[in-house]
Amino acid sequence: MTFESGHEESSKPTFLELRGVSKSFGEHKVLDQINLTVAEGEVLVVIGPSGSGKSTLLRCINFIAAPDEGEVIFEGHSWKVFKSKFNFVANRKYEKKLTILRSEIGMVFQNFNVFPHMTAAQNVVLGLTKVRKLGKAEARLAAVAALSQVGLSDKVDQYPEKLSGGQKQRVAIARALALKPKVMLFDEATSSLDPELVNGILEEMRRLAKAGMTMVVVTHEMNFAFQVASRIVFMDQGRIVEIGTPDEIKRTTEPRTRSFLSAILN
Amino acid sequence: MNSYKFDWNVIDKYLPELLRGLFITLEVSAVGMVLALVIGLLLATGRLSSHRFTRAVSNGVVQLFRSIPLFVMLFWVYYGLSLKFHLMFTSFQAGAIALGITGGAYMAEVYRGGLTAVDAGQREAAIAMGMTRADAFLFVVLPQALRIVIPPTVNVYVGLLKGATIVSVIGVSDMIYVAQYVSLQTFTPFELYSVAGLIFVCLTLSISGFAWMLERRLGKGRTYG
Repeated sequence: MTFESGHEESSKPTFLELRGVSKSFGEHKVLDQINLTVAEGEVLVVIGPSGSGKSTLLRCINFIAAPDEGEVIFEGHSWKVFKSKFNFVANRKYEKKLTILRSEIGMVFQNFNVFPHMTAAQNVVLGLTKVRKLGKAEARLAAVAALSQVGLSDKVDQYPEKLSGGQKQRVAIARALALKPKVMLFDEATSSLDPELVNGILEEMRRLAKAGMTMVVVTHEMNFAFQVASRIVFMDQGRIVEIGTPDEIKRTTEPRTRSFLSAILN
Repeated sequence: MNSYKFDWNVIDKYLPELLRGLFITLEVSAVGMVLALVIGLLLATGRLSSHRFTRAVSNGVVQLFRSIPLFVMLFWVYYGLSLKFHLMFTSFQAGAIALGITGGAYMAEVYRGGLTAVDAGQREAAIAMGMTRADAFLFVVLPQALRIVIPPTVNVYVGLLKGATIVSVIGVSDMIYVAQYVSLQTFTPFELYSVAGLIFVCLTLSISGFAWMLERRLGKGRTYG
């Protein structure tokens, strides 16, 4: 890595790191020995053809999909897969410990996954009371504030069925941000939105990046990737093919990256 | 051909008895349903367990309980258990237990259907926030599953209510028992069974109607995400 790339990674302590992370679904190896570091405040955009393992990579960071091998290091703590065949108490204990890691990492999904039986405010309140252990009144205030920040101050008490896709995704973003996470994961957050709503969500993500949030973003929005990313990761067939700044990726000579980019940009 | 005269006087005289019997029928089916709700939930949790052995056992139990006719189940619980294990139940208790076991097997499938119908992303989103599995289940998955589960649950209850008409074979003094008992004295089985049947039709139809209404209400606007 050259100095001109503008990333003094070595001077920062490791914030988030994946070491030798692998995962298979049956015979199919979805992730193959992934090594990756994310610096604090960095916006890492992961691109690649569908089925390349981008989403699984994201889901391995917070153990929504537990890696088969390898470890995730977050703020100096190492998290490895633990599963005993017989000791269910130990499994439970470990599962409980994982909630600590997850509560520091917000996640936004392609399908929003807003809770349909709760109003926008209740969606946000749930995490605040169950995870952050806030009182009801306090949580409600924080929820309203979080929803206002994503421009939903007039939808606070609406049920999701009354909201547009973009508004649902805003609820999901507010729900994650209200917990004050240190990292945000975006799993194709705009892919199931109507085209006219995509920019609104990308704008929210831009704002978040500007505010210094550490983000790992899986997306097909190349304009966003080139403008906002600190670094871009290109994945193919469960491996990281290449990592570089947007400029480096644009000028890459790596054939697979080039063919992917030319396919997606035309 | 049409010489048979329907004797309304018998009905007039014994209707209170029949209704008292009906109340017993409702009672035994209600207690049976409560048992079914609990047994069903246990079996469903077993069937959805990540533990293979638990899954296999609860699977087998559900299949077994579902395939035993209620009639046989009644005899097993009432006579079988007392002969074999000296577990004595009153006929009412035995009736409720038999209904609970059979209904529980059906409820297990209903619960399972409801729980698996909730999008996996819902649970994932809750877990991703740092919620415990128990909280995610209790506050996110279960409330949504209940909305799906209520209409078929009412249908299971209608099934139990109809099943409850045969608990008289072990001597529960339900409506059918009353009809049988009275007709032996008055020689008017046709009248008594017809009216008993009619009362049942009204009852099950109105409960089914209620289920249909619930289905329409709860099904409306159920969008995930």
